[in-house]
Amino acid sequence: MPSSPLKYAYFPGCVAQGACRELYQSTQALTQALGIELVELKTAACCGSGTFKEDSQLLEDSVNARNIALAEELQLPLLTHCSTCQGVIGHVDERLKECQKKDPAYIDQVNGLLQQEGCVPYQGSTEVKHLLYALVADYGLETIQQQVKRSLSGLRCAAFYGCYLLRAQKSMPYDDPYCPESMENLFRAVGATPVYYRGRTQCCGWPLASYATTESFKMAGMHIQEAITAGADCMVTPCPLCHLNLDSRQPEVEKVIERKLGLPVLHLPQLIALALGVKPKQLGLDRHIVSTRPVLEKLGL
Amino acid sequence: MQVIFKVIRQEKNSSPHIQTYQLDVEAGNTILDCLNRIKWEQDGSLAFRKNCRNTICGSCGMRINGRSALACKENVGSELQRLQSLPTQATDLDRIPEITVAPMGNMPVIKDLVVDMSSFWNHLEAVEPYVSTQARLVPEREFLQTPQERSQLEKTGNCILCGACYSECNAREVNPNFVGPHALAKAYRMVADSRDERTRSRLEEYNEGTQGVWGCTRCFYCNTVCPMGVEPLEQINQIKQEILAFKETQDSRSIRHRKVLVDLVKQGGWIDERQFGLQVVGNYFRDLRGLLSIGPLGLRMLIRGKFPLSFEPSPGAPVVRSLIEAVQKRERGK
Repeated sequence: MPSSPLKYAYFPGCVAQGACRELYQSTQALTQALGIELVELKTAACCGSGTFKEDSQLLEDSVNARNIALAEELQLPLLTHCSTCQGVIGHVDERLKECQKKDPAYIDQVNGLLQQEGCVPYQGSTEVKHLLYALVADYGLETIQQQVKRSLSGLRCAAFYGCYLLRAQKSMPYDDPYCPESMENLFRAVGATPVYYRGRTQCCGWPLASYATTESFKMAGMHIQEAITAGADCMVTPCPLCHLNLDSRQPEVEKVIERKLGLPVLHLPQLIALALGVKPKQLGLDRHIVSTRPVLEKLGL
Repeated sequence: MQVIFKVIRQEKNSSPHIQTYQLDVEAGNTILDCLNRIKWEQDGSLAFRKNCRNTICGSCGMRINGRSALACKENVGSELQRLQSLPTQATDLDRIPEITVAPMGNMPVIKDLVVDMSSFWNHLEAVEPYVSTQARLVPEREFLQTPQERSQLEKTGNCILCGACYSECNAREVNPNFVGPHALAKAYRMVADSRDERTRSRLEEYNEGTQGVWGCTRCFYCNTVCPMGVEPLEQINQIKQEILAFKETQDSRSIRHRKVLVDLVKQGGWIDERQFGLQVVGNYFRDLRGLLSIGPLGLRMLIRGKFPLSFEPSPGAPVVRSLIEAVQKRERGK
C-alpha cells in the first residue's frame, strides 16, 4: 500500500484521444477508483511513436525532452498508458540522463532549443512510468487485490505487451523482456487466469499497417490465433496501437489468414476497472470493433 | 550443482521433441561447455555448431531460455539467476534447475540445434555487402580513412554474423523477402563507408518495397538479442534518415507515413488520426484504391461509436511546431 496517495503527470498520447477514447476513459475510471491522482499534461505533444527518430534523433529527443520537462515542472513522475509512448519517452529520458554524464554538450543543444522556444529545460529529475508498472510497483498487487469487488475468476486472459514496453528501454527494472510476468501477475490479482502463448511479447504489426497490410495482418492473425488455441477468452493489452491492429483491424486480419477469429481485445485499465466494480459502459466496452459481450457474459455482467 | 538441460531436438522434416540431460556443472561453465559434455559423455548424436568458444566466430547461435544467444557467451550461473528472478520459475528450491536450449527461429532445422542458414546468407548477399569495386581498384598508396571516418564503421563492423537477430526478427517471420537486421546493419556499414561510391544507388535499393528498411516493424528484438552490441535497429534508422532526407511525400506510402506524421504533429501537437489515414493511405484523395481500402475500417468505427468525430489540438502545438522547425533547420544545416 502506498503511504501517501499516488500522483502522476499524465501523458495521454494521441490514440487515447482519438481512435481509442475508451482507453482515456478507462484510465480515468481506474485511477479514480484506486485513488490515484492524475494531472494531465494538456500542452504535451505526440512522442513520435518511433518515427521521429527515423527522421532525426535530435527531433525525437527535443520534443520528448519538452514532454518530460512538463512533468518535471510539476515535480511528478510522467505516467504513460501506451507501450509505444512509454518506450519512446522512457528511452529518451534514459538517453538524456546518460548524456548528462557523458555528453553534456548534447544536453546543452537540446535545452538551447527548448529555451529558444520559451520551454523549461530538461533536468533529468523525474522518471517515466507506464500505468502497468505504476500499478504493479507503486500501488502494489496486494493492495489492488484487496480492492477487488468483482473477482474475474474463470476469465482466461492472454496478455499482449507491445514491443516498446519490453525492449525500447535499456533498463527494465520490473520485467524480463523475454519472459515478462507483470500483466499475468495483475490478472491473478483480480482473479483472472493468465494464458501463456508464444506471441505475447511480439510485434502486433501496427507499424506496417499503413503500407504492408498483408504482412502486418499476418502478424496480428498469428498471435490472435495462438491465443485462441491456448484457450483465451480475451486478449489484454497495455498499448492502444496494438489494440488498433488486434481489434479494429481484426475483420481484415481474418480475411488475410482466412480464418474466423472474434477474440475480444481489452485495454489493461478496462480489465482492472471491471474487477473494481466499474460499469462496462463507463469503460467504453461497447465501443470495440470485436464485441466484448462474450467477456461480459462470462463474468455475468 | 546439478542442472537439467532440456534440449529441443529435431530431425529434418519431422516434429521436434524434448530430450533432457542432467549434468553436474559449475556456475562459470558456458552453455557450450555443457553441450560439449553432453555430446562427449552422454549422447554423441546431439548436433550443434561450434568453433571458437570465445564470442568471435558466431557459430554457436541458438535459443537459450527463450531468446537467441551465443552458447559460448552465456553461462549457467547467469542463466539460473535470470530464471530465478522470474516469479513463475522461482518455485521450490529443492527442484533441480532447468535450462532450455532450442534451435534458432526463422530458419529450417537440419538436425537438433543446427539450422539451415541459406536464406540468412542470401539475404546478406542481397544488400551487396562489399565496398564498391571502384574503390577496390587500389591506387598506388593505400586508401586512407581518417579515424573519424573509420569510427563510423565501428558498431556495424562488430557483427559476427551469428544469426541471433535474424532468428528473432518479427518482420522476417511474416515476410520471407525482408532481408533482415543483419543485412541492413551491414548495408548501413556500406552507406557510411567513405570509400564506397555507390551510396545513392544503395539508398535507392534499400528503399525498395518491403524487402529493405521499410519491411522492418521496429520490434526491437534485434537490438535486444545481439551479442555484439551492433544494434541493427539503430542502423536501419540511420539508413531511413538518409533516405528521408532526399525523398518526397509523394514517393511512396512508407515515406508518406513518416513525413505526414511529423507534419501533423506540427499542426496539432497530437496526431489527428483521420488526417493520418486520409493523407498516408489515401494520398490526399489521389490514391482512390488506398482510400477505399480504409473505407470499411472507417465505417466500422463509425458504427461502433469508435470513430473520432472531432480533434482537439494540443494547446502546446504552436510551441511544438516552432521547436520542430528549429530542429529541422539545424538538421538541414548539417
